[in-house]
Amino acid sequence: MSETSTLNNSGDYLVEVNNLTKWFPVQKSIIDQVFTKERDYVRAVDGVSFKIRRGGVLGLAGESGSGKTTIGRVTIGLEKKTKGEVFFDGINLSELSEEELRKMRRRMQVIFQDPLASLNPRMSLGSAIVQGLKIHYPELKEQHRDMVLEMMERVGLTPARFYINKFPQQISGGQRQRVVIARALITKPDLILADEPIAMADVSVRALLLDLMIQLKKEFNLTYIFITHDLATAKYICDDIAILYLGKIAEIGNLKEVYSLPLHPYTQALMAAVPVPDPHKRRTQSMPAGEIPNPIHPPSGCRFHPRCPFAKDICSQEEPILRELLPEHQVACHIAENFMK
Amino acid sequence: MNEKQVLMQVKDLSVTYETRLGPVSAVDGITFDIYRGEILGLVGESGCGKSTMGKALMRMIQPPGWISKGQLIFEGEDIMTYDRNKMRDFRGRKVSMIFQDPMTSLNPVQRVDQHLIEAIQVHEPKTIIEKALERANILMERLGIQKERMSNYPHQLSGGMRQRVMIGLGLVLNANLIIADEATTSLDVIVEAKLVDQLKEIRDEFGVTLLVITHNIALVAELCDRVAVMYAGHIVELGPIEEIFDNPLHPYTKGLLLSVPNIKLDEREELFKMAGEPPNLTHPPFGCRFHPRCPKATAICEEKEPEFREVTPGRFVKCWLVKDYQVKEMKKAEVIK
Amino acid sequence: MKHEKETTSPSAEVPEWMLDLDRVGFVRRLFLSRKWYGGDWWFVAISAVLLLFVIIVGIFPQWFAPYDPKAEVGPSLLEPGEPPSEFILVAKIEKGEITLVDIANKSNNVGFIVGSPASQAVREVLDELNESAPTGVRYQPRQRRYETLEEGLTALTEGKLDGFVVSPDELGDSLNAYPDLQVAGTLREQGSSGFVMGTNQIGQDVFSRIIWGTRIALIVGLSSAMISFLLGVPLGLFSGFIGGPLDRILTLLMDSLYSFPGLILAITIAAVLGPGIGNIIVSIAVLYIPTYYRIVRGQTLQVKEELYVEAARSLGTSWFSILVKYIFPNVIPSVVIIFSVNVGDAILTEAGLSFLGFGLPPDTPDWGIDLARGQDYVRRAWWLITFPGLMVTMVTLSFSMLGESLSEILNPRLAEQ
Repeated sequence: MSETSTLNNSGDYLVEVNNLTKWFPVQKSIIDQVFTKERDYVRAVDGVSFKIRRGGVLGLAGESGSGKTTIGRVTIGLEKKTKGEVFFDGINLSELSEEELRKMRRRMQVIFQDPLASLNPRMSLGSAIVQGLKIHYPELKEQHRDMVLEMMERVGLTPARFYINKFPQQISGGQRQRVVIARALITKPDLILADEPIAMADVSVRALLLDLMIQLKKEFNLTYIFITHDLATAKYICDDIAILYLGKIAEIGNLKEVYSLPLHPYTQALMAAVPVPDPHKRRTQSMPAGEIPNPIHPPSGCRFHPRCPFAKDICSQEEPILRELLPEHQVACHIAENFMK
Repeated sequence: MNEKQVLMQVKDLSVTYETRLGPVSAVDGITFDIYRGEILGLVGESGCGKSTMGKALMRMIQPPGWISKGQLIFEGEDIMTYDRNKMRDFRGRKVSMIFQDPMTSLNPVQRVDQHLIEAIQVHEPKTIIEKALERANILMERLGIQKERMSNYPHQLSGGMRQRVMIGLGLVLNANLIIADEATTSLDVIVEAKLVDQLKEIRDEFGVTLLVITHNIALVAELCDRVAVMYAGHIVELGPIEEIFDNPLHPYTKGLLLSVPNIKLDEREELFKMAGEPPNLTHPPFGCRFHPRCPKATAICEEKEPEFREVTPGRFVKCWLVKDYQVKEMKKAEVIK
Repeated sequence: MKHEKETTSPSAEVPEWMLDLDRVGFVRRLFLSRKWYGGDWWFVAISAVLLLFVIIVGIFPQWFAPYDPKAEVGPSLLEPGEPPSEFILVAKIEKGEITLVDIANKSNNVGFIVGSPASQAVREVLDELNESAPTGVRYQPRQRRYETLEEGLTALTEGKLDGFVVSPDELGDSLNAYPDLQVAGTLREQGSSGFVMGTNQIGQDVFSRIIWGTRIALIVGLSSAMISFLLGVPLGLFSGFIGGPLDRILTLLMDSLYSFPGLILAITIAAVLGPGIGNIIVSIAVLYIPTYYRIVRGQTLQVKEELYVEAARSLGTSWFSILVKYIFPNVIPSVVIIFSVNVGDAILTEAGLSFLGFGLPPDTPDWGIDLARGQDYVRRAWWLITFPGLMVTMVTLSFSMLGESLSEILNPRLAEQ
């Protein structure tokens, strides 16, 4: 099999996203369409920029409406952007034709959240896994079966011969996720989008799956985009983390830096909210008031200002830009300096 | 020391389901007490029987399942002997339940105030609507839903607010016990944290007893006074929350606690990986149900099911390995503290 | 349920107690695969056996049918199992013992009650005699019909008749009133055996007709269902998958076709096309295409949104492969049930068409034709509609039951390779 080739040597960064914006039009009734010229949009992602190093793991963390899933999907080419640019290995994804994008899929794969729903119930496990090879490496037909068996063993579905003819309904949830991982990895991709990959697995199985993903990353030289709502899990696999709120990055940087000194009030609240499995260390902080606003009409200025306990006047007037306040640590907040010691 | 009053006693409860492959005992001979005013956690993975347990406490097991054995003694009376009318009164007024997805458990064509008024009128038919509405408004205000939102429909509310409506439905009838079945699983982290605070408040203020059923171990640590760990239809360990977390006795509990992620950077830097998967309950393992995955399994573990023993006051374990010396160690540690 | 032991030993991560459905034979999987029915694999077994039997009968009717379905092999409207009754000749005493042969010439008159089985008996005996008669000899007495027995016997007494044919049951004691009449002889002996399902109005054996009717039913039913399937399913698939203006136009067309009352549409098409078994098959086929189209299109729209289809897209699968490997196998199970019901319904529609004169020639042994013709005889001759009706019901039921169970069994097998 050919080695991973790069069309364009883009140096250290496999993924580069500049000012990505994705708005979804809101369905309106015919009357509204006739009488009001403007359309409403769900501003799922609003000007997001980041870079991912080759072999790194970027966590996209946030609550619902944060845009983390949409960012992931656009970056991996499953959705089209509204504005901005997405570069994969130096290639601008929007400049690719449909056919070229389809071929590019070999290098960008997805692990979905719900393993049962993402496996075709009428396809045996071996069949599901081999699809990638059939599409992108049809010339290696004789070796397909062996490659599938080897991959199944590698992800822990042993003995592989036992599982290769089974169907998704006949195995457990943890095993299904392994099948999904095997299916994604069989084409030796460079980038993997993992959308809450362990959220639906049993608690005792999650650690196994996480460990598997980390090992595979090292072995196959993978780069991950790891979408999660659980900051605790992110700690174990992500190198960098981006905290998203209502379509914008609140804080982004090296995970250890961000976790040891969260500079954005939202990050602070989010981290405090995560339950700690230690009854002696129960949370004492109070949570920000209010709820996540409607993404169709986000607040003016800083989107978090209506709930922020530290908000000043400027926060409602001007949108803060992402600034690098510390090495490998950027924050979009007017008053973040106050939290630096 | 607080005098702990027993609110509900579960004695040797078994719930059986008829499946294509034979009968499954989702809950198998479980005995424990729920004390008044406590927050008891029931934690376990999928298929361990915790949800079934919650439903069984309200006798809401539907065919093909049924309560095959056991007694449920609530405030001194065995509700297994209640007829349909008494059970209808029991549900809602004495015990109420909050479910995982409030969107599907609230009636989409009923407004919030209508929900609450209906609940009141079903159980206390003599109440006049105005009085009922007043009660509902006051209560919901306390829970954080303003009067203006009372005329909203469920789809107009956020997830957290819907959960509060569900809690309100439980409290408006002054239920003694509220069972929360995965009530926070579908909520965002911050909303979940606020709900945790709210649940603690209503316990402090109203004296309500809470049974929190969840697979989220960290949540249990934040919220509960005592916790019961379930595995394959059995409770394998039960006790005060600090004791269980500081010194887990059952190998499953130990493994489980070590595999839970901790956001603090300097703690739990590696996650423990437990081998195997929860068993298929149509053919549960012989003897102790955990023995195939247990790193310390011995011969007796494969042959006989261990008893659910009280090893120290308030601390129960279902394991052959918990010998008395371990208990003595614990007592020593207590003395030193 | 016995628990199977694995022969390869899995590693620690694989629980040993999971049943390996792949190792199990097809028959066992048949037993295990039911979801909703529970324990009624009896249904499957019975319906499969029945259908197999029906198909064999349909392919080789000549092995099973005792008589030619179009031949008039017995007296009309004979009850099932009842042997054809005896017929006697009544004549004036002075004539002595005679048989039909004696009076069967052109100048003689033979009488019987109008509409009674006696008339057919006379005809049959005359035919027999004429067949075996030497050349030149012809037995052809004039036949006189009388409304009642009394009239006939009176005419005989008065000499207007030379003989009167009647069955002993019909005659009863009436001869007591006619002193100069007697039973002159036997026209025809009582038959030794009857017909197991009786005979119809023109004396054809119902049982043989049913056997031969199986062939027609299966041909029409299966062919029209097959055509509908082969046209409706792909149209539905493409329409649902591609969407857009093509989808809109097709849906409009199919909905209008669907809104026609079935039989009327079939009649219209059959009238245009003309008679013949091929044309019936076509007109019935057109009737069911919209049904397949709608169901398949609906399912396609649903499956299209499933996560595994998106996963396939993210793998880089071409749209054609998605349609064939992901959408089609998940859509097909619902169609299997429709197909089976379709066959039963097609048989009924065909019966309606034949009844109205479109399609099959009127004497064809066909359940529908027999059903239609037996309608008026419900009280007199219940066996005329009961047996064809039972056949239609049984075959339709068997197809439905087998169809439902087939869809369950087919599920795991529909994987490629």
